[in-house]
Amino acid sequence: MAITVEDVKKINPLVPIKAKVTKIVQETPDVRTFHISTMDDQKPFDPMPGQLGMLSLPLVGEGMFSITNKGENHIEMALKEVGQLTKALHEIEVGQEVGIRGPYGNGFPIDYCKGKDLLIIGGGIGLAPVRSLIMHCIKNRDDFGKLTVVYGARSKSDLCFQEDLFENWTKVPNMDVFVTIDRAEEGWDGHVGFVPAYVEELAPKPQVTVLCGPPIMIKFTLPSLQKMNFSDQDIITTLEMRMKCGIGKCGRCNIGSCYVCLDGPVFTMEQLKDLPPEY
Amino acid sequence: MKTILKAKLPELLEQLAKEYKVLVPAKLEGVSRFAAYRENLELALEENVTMPPKDIFFPQTEEMYKFKSKDQSLEIEEIPQDEKLQVIFGVRSCDMKSIDCLDQVFLTKGFVDPFYQDKRDKSILIALSCVKPMESCFCTSMGIDPQKGQGADIQAYDLGEKLGFEGITERGQEVLSKVSGMFAEEDAAIPSIGEFNLTADVEGLPEKLKDMFDHPIWDDISRKCLNCSTCAYVCPTCHCFDIASEVRGEDGTKIRCWDCCMVDEYTVMAGGHQPRPGKKERVRNRFLHKLRYFPERYNMLLCTGCGRCVVKCPVNLDITNVIKKLQEA
Repeated sequence: MAITVEDVKKINPLVPIKAKVTKIVQETPDVRTFHISTMDDQKPFDPMPGQLGMLSLPLVGEGMFSITNKGENHIEMALKEVGQLTKALHEIEVGQEVGIRGPYGNGFPIDYCKGKDLLIIGGGIGLAPVRSLIMHCIKNRDDFGKLTVVYGARSKSDLCFQEDLFENWTKVPNMDVFVTIDRAEEGWDGHVGFVPAYVEELAPKPQVTVLCGPPIMIKFTLPSLQKMNFSDQDIITTLEMRMKCGIGKCGRCNIGSCYVCLDGPVFTMEQLKDLPPEY
Repeated sequence: MKTILKAKLPELLEQLAKEYKVLVPAKLEGVSRFAAYRENLELALEENVTMPPKDIFFPQTEEMYKFKSKDQSLEIEEIPQDEKLQVIFGVRSCDMKSIDCLDQVFLTKGFVDPFYQDKRDKSILIALSCVKPMESCFCTSMGIDPQKGQGADIQAYDLGEKLGFEGITERGQEVLSKVSGMFAEEDAAIPSIGEFNLTADVEGLPEKLKDMFDHPIWDDISRKCLNCSTCAYVCPTCHCFDIASEVRGEDGTKIRCWDCCMVDEYTVMAGGHQPRPGKKERVRNRFLHKLRYFPERYNMLLCTGCGRCVVKCPVNLDITNVIKKLQEA
């Protein structure tokens, strides 16, 4: 039986359970996806799209990562190598036992998105958190309207989830995938340019937009979206802060009176306008 | 009211210590703090203790679980908690209120922190009234009655030569019943509290601060701060913590320890992004947390007017003065 959010509240939410890495996918030179199952081959817990998990290699440390997808018996996390822990995680092999705790955070407003046309914008590793939403929409295709994904990375080799982008997602009914890279390069005949400009050029007409990427991309994409006359509650993004506990106690991930680990990581533009711009 | 001569207090504590773990305000190596009662312990009852009682429920360093990792294998082992009930004697009203603040953080909003809850559940609190405010006290400005500790199991009163006791909760009555033979029963007048040297006007402040995030006053307020974290260390309500590992070879212990929003490592992310890069941002966060964010989230201020930070700050960054500046800005 997978552990649900309610179960996590009953057990000690600060102590990880033991789990194992069952598969590792090299997405880009510095991004790998890890498939994680319990020791008896179950899903460690049942996350909603957009929720977070605390993954640990106890000798090195633990870190909070978005859960990019869930399967019948596993969850997936895509990690970019940026610091000590992610460097160590990039050195492990299948079979490695790890600690995992979660799920944490609010997740995407699935019910609100139901029946609506969705535009999902990702940049770089920013596709990782929104991939959980995309996978959910694909699995429950009839619950949602048209699905448009616009994704960009610095170069072709930096594009995450290429099998999804160029194979799997192109076959999904009523779904368009647009991919761009920052600069032209040999062997790339797709679109070249930055995400915000590409979104303006494509001028999709969704009802709800979800965007996730580096702060610079979000900063430049928001004006494009505002030009498209979205209401603030229909622009959704995810925020990142340093986290330790995951349950709104340890303090550090606060933005104003919100804790990103508990009240986020998903926020609407309407909510962000009420928070100090300190992230 | 049940009364006892102050001179008889060690005898009373001795008696309770047979049944419970008993924590009392005491002076240890020059610092007053709550300590397990033992014979010849130097009690510190003249004024409030330097170190607040928060470490009883939220230790400065606390082991969370143990682990062992070798090659690809991992074992995680939880650490059993002490089961014995503890009686905490002599908690002043400001510190009683701080326990209410900590309860809000650790026990509400969806998740309960089991480490805190465990220690909190087995604690019986004996509040102690104040007779004379210290120079740095301003609890009444924060809406606290220095003679009635909120949430106490037993309220004790400083009556001069004697101490008075009133059982409030069932658990409190039970503790008193264990030592009932030591008390006299008499009507006693509770001495009135003296004048307060410090005051702070917090009326309407959380609302006012909603529009003051970008106010230039924060440059002024933060200028002399050294980001030393002493204020948070002695604060009865500051509760932020870090989670870290102590590793020896293949074995390790996950610990949590007090942390503070004054330090760089608190918010810096892997990759180097720092949402609160300087002391202005950090000082602003600490005061906004106490005076705006916490009230927004839990409907109470995160300051109890105990005055410890006022005394200990090396550059005299006095919170009552900060409040005054914010009200006048």
